[in-house]
Amino acid sequence: MAHDTHHHHKESFFTKYIFSQDHKMIGKQYLLTAIFMGAIGITLSALFRMKLGWPDTQFSILESILGSDAAPDGMLDSNWYLGLVTLHGTIMVFFVLTGGLSGTFSNLLIPLQVGARDMASGLMNMIAYWLFFLSSVLMAASLFIETGPAMAGWTVYPPLSVLEEFQPGSGLGMTLWLLSMTVFIASSLLGGINYIVTILNLRTKGMSMTRLPLTIWAFFITAILGVLSFPVLLSAAVLLLMDRGFGTSFYMSDIVTSSGALDATGGSPILYEHLFWFLGHPEVYIILLPALGMTSEIISTCSRKPIFGYRAMIGSMLAIGFLSFIVWGHHMFLTGMNPFLGGVFTFTTLLIAIPSAVKAFNYITTIWKGNVIMTPAMLFCIGSVSTFISGGVTGIILADSALDISQHDTYFVVGHFHIVMGMTAILGMFAGIYHWFPKMYGKSMNKRMGMVHFWVTIVTGYGVFLPMHFLGEGGLPRRYYENTNFPMFDHFLDLNILISIFATIGVLSQLIFFFNFFYSIFRGPKASLNPWNANTLEWTTPLEHVHGNWIGEIPTVYRWPYDYSKPGKEKDFVPQTVPLDDNEEEH
Amino acid sequence: MEGKFVIIIAVALFFIALVQLMKIYDLAAKVRGNKSQEKVTRGENMLMANLMLVFMVAFFGFIIWLIFKYGANAGLYKAASEHGEKLDSLLMLNWYIILPVFFFTNSLLFIFSWRYYHREERKALYYPHNNKLELVWTILPAIALAIIIVFGIRTWNDIMYNKEKGQVVEVYAYQFGWLVRYAGVDNQLGEANYKLVSSTNPLGVITDKSINDTYEEIDKKVSNIDQDLKGNRNKNGDLLIPKSKADKKLEELERLKRRKYRIEAAIDKGETNSTAYSTSDDDVVVQELHLVKDQPYTFIFRSKDVIHCPWLPHFRAQINAVPGMETSFKLTPTITTKEMRMMPEVQEHYKNINEIHNERKRRIGEEEEKVLFDYVLLCNKICGAGHSNMQLKVIVETQEEFENWIENNGDKKRLTFSGQEVSWSETKEQASL
Repeated sequence: MAHDTHHHHKESFFTKYIFSQDHKMIGKQYLLTAIFMGAIGITLSALFRMKLGWPDTQFSILESILGSDAAPDGMLDSNWYLGLVTLHGTIMVFFVLTGGLSGTFSNLLIPLQVGARDMASGLMNMIAYWLFFLSSVLMAASLFIETGPAMAGWTVYPPLSVLEEFQPGSGLGMTLWLLSMTVFIASSLLGGINYIVTILNLRTKGMSMTRLPLTIWAFFITAILGVLSFPVLLSAAVLLLMDRGFGTSFYMSDIVTSSGALDATGGSPILYEHLFWFLGHPEVYIILLPALGMTSEIISTCSRKPIFGYRAMIGSMLAIGFLSFIVWGHHMFLTGMNPFLGGVFTFTTLLIAIPSAVKAFNYITTIWKGNVIMTPAMLFCIGSVSTFISGGVTGIILADSALDISQHDTYFVVGHFHIVMGMTAILGMFAGIYHWFPKMYGKSMNKRMGMVHFWVTIVTGYGVFLPMHFLGEGGLPRRYYENTNFPMFDHFLDLNILISIFATIGVLSQLIFFFNFFYSIFRGPKASLNPWNANTLEWTTPLEHVHGNWIGEIPTVYRWPYDYSKPGKEKDFVPQTVPLDDNEEEH
Repeated sequence: MEGKFVIIIAVALFFIALVQLMKIYDLAAKVRGNKSQEKVTRGENMLMANLMLVFMVAFFGFIIWLIFKYGANAGLYKAASEHGEKLDSLLMLNWYIILPVFFFTNSLLFIFSWRYYHREERKALYYPHNNKLELVWTILPAIALAIIIVFGIRTWNDIMYNKEKGQVVEVYAYQFGWLVRYAGVDNQLGEANYKLVSSTNPLGVITDKSINDTYEEIDKKVSNIDQDLKGNRNKNGDLLIPKSKADKKLEELERLKRRKYRIEAAIDKGETNSTAYSTSDDDVVVQELHLVKDQPYTFIFRSKDVIHCPWLPHFRAQINAVPGMETSFKLTPTITTKEMRMMPEVQEHYKNINEIHNERKRRIGEEEEKVLFDYVLLCNKICGAGHSNMQLKVIVETQEEFENWIENNGDKKRLTFSGQEVSWSETKEQASL
């Protein structure tokens, strides 16, 4: 790629900020879109938590935000409650933690850390972003239609999601959901292929696969998972679209509506569940791995200590990636599938705990005897490892098909996946933002606000999701509009209030972040070239973004990225561009 | 409007306050000569490290408080079914393995973060790998997981491969409620087909009568539409109603004809007046689920419209009800409702629940009531607006009480399938002949 001379070109506003093909700008575009979608996603959760915490109170704020269809007299409508839950899940899982997380950091870091001028295809990269943008708009738009957004839960199981008669959201709202997801999948495939090709082909001289930072390994495996599993979701969505619009019956059979028996026969909703979860489970790791990759990098840098067990970390990510394809059945233990399969999926699912344990202990050993600098990014990483452990252990219970009989679809599940997937990934994403903000905008974020942001987030996060495990142990099903129909759940009234208070504070406290972020873009102090004294290549690029990343030649790499506090070295870090001394062992 | 205004003002004020704070902070930093936002000072490092420890204590404290307050089963008491006890002990085994791991690993993380915070004079240990250590934390989890897997799959197989048939009961799910059908004396449920579902035959049970009723119903609808269309034509035979409306009616007509044809093809087979569907004769449909203590049951679940999930928390039992297929679950209740109500744990708990329940009733201006313990069956798969109120009362009692109930209530709530009305005891006599 002869990009060397390109940075002399004068770019117009449009090609620089809007239809940019520069990976750094595209990364920032992803981030801004994700922050916008994230703000919607968490706001929705705060709104439906109000109903769950105070089931009898009328909140005029609900009516003023959602309108009088959704919340007449300040009481959330039960269909709309499901709509908010559905959109909260969809937005957080796909738009913030898949598109947002991978999109931002894969784009920003892959070329910079492997030593490439740009992505393999800048055009494809730009198209991927704009498709992501389009799908975000479609999804957000579904909140504004009269019958409401999709309401069948983020998994949108048929037949509930097929007929408007079953719930109003299965009309136009569901159509928009499917269209948005179809576009989203196209975007994520274009992005993923680009990431894979760039990592495989555009590494700079000396950057062998075993000298790649763990971030890149994580993005690499993530992209492979996405490319292999998203097409399956696409097929599921297309078949659902056909069942809804063209009278096919892939997912429907023997259904009676108020106007009598439907013609559909021979299909099965279980088919949809298989297709959905064949993406759905790898999706969990598509969300997690980038966060884990970034925490590996940041923990090592801020502990001034090499990541412990570099190869074991890669191996465990590969193992997790592989296993994630053969565990989808644990979401379906109770669908009536063959009990033998239940046993098989229990086995494969529990195997994932082994590489996960290896990762957790490697993080901890990296911190052990380190020299830990408590930057906001590092704080978020410690939080992320903690939630990875806390959420991981309860996964062992849910992986067990027998125990799933008494835990399935209760709040125990909600607590579990929010801690292990939601919080770990979100905390990892925050860590990434705080850590690479200087690289993105050439400015520094305010550290004290970052610290406050971390403590409020971790306290409220745990405050929301730990008690949910106990609601689940008490048998409370998820996605209940109100829990007051069953006196047996009355003793959870105060616990639900506690959760809602934590949730409200947690959501509001994100304003600190939004403020810090946007304030620092414009008013933050100028960042230094390598603010965290890190070894990786991105810190050798100039502060001002140039097209092609390096003004001169691309640097050559001589060592792995984790030579921190290496004995015999003057400084406590040795960048990858420093050649090995005579007789120096690599690691 | 007011609400919107208040929100906008609050958000604006919040941001203004933040901007001011930031300015003060920037100024203060300048005065102190510390402009960098990148370098974390020694004091900050120490503070964060200490907070790690404080957080760990608070975090663990919170969990221990929750455990003491809600216990393992958080108000579900001891399992009321045979397999439920096995599940509960499996769960406890899991907790005994998981909780120490959880506390140990989190402690290491927070204690190390506190102990090794950054000091200029210190240097981190260069320790890139140690294969022995990696091996340790590969093998130890593997052993623990092996235990969990073996016990887990064994319990799973025990529950799912239970061969005992017991009494057969069908639970039929629909938006938003349940119907229960007892298989009667022959312990065989009459066959059902969704094409026959109607207001008089909500479960679609196949009998000569229900087939004929359905035909009649369809014929009536067909002739209604026919007449409607005829009445709306002028002398030339042109339709007087809009084409889209007429098309809808014609489509409905076609659908009805098709339905009749398909019933004829699939169910009837010209066997009218035969005994093929007689197993439904003694079936009883009710709206409450009564179970006999220590009696094994096989539950058959069907769904009318969308996926539902019958969930019996006290019996630790659930399985999806999926349209287009039958699912089943076996369970043996071991504690009657009355016995459950007498348990001191339950009584104490319900004293508390009554207080909370009636405090809320007072608050929202509803009449106070005394709440007693009852088993329930609820829906645990998102199914629409009424999802959170899809309840079925479940009562476990003795054989005698059950006979008494079905004798007196079976008829009242009963929907007959064959032409004649037959009571529970009459069918029982017939069967014994």
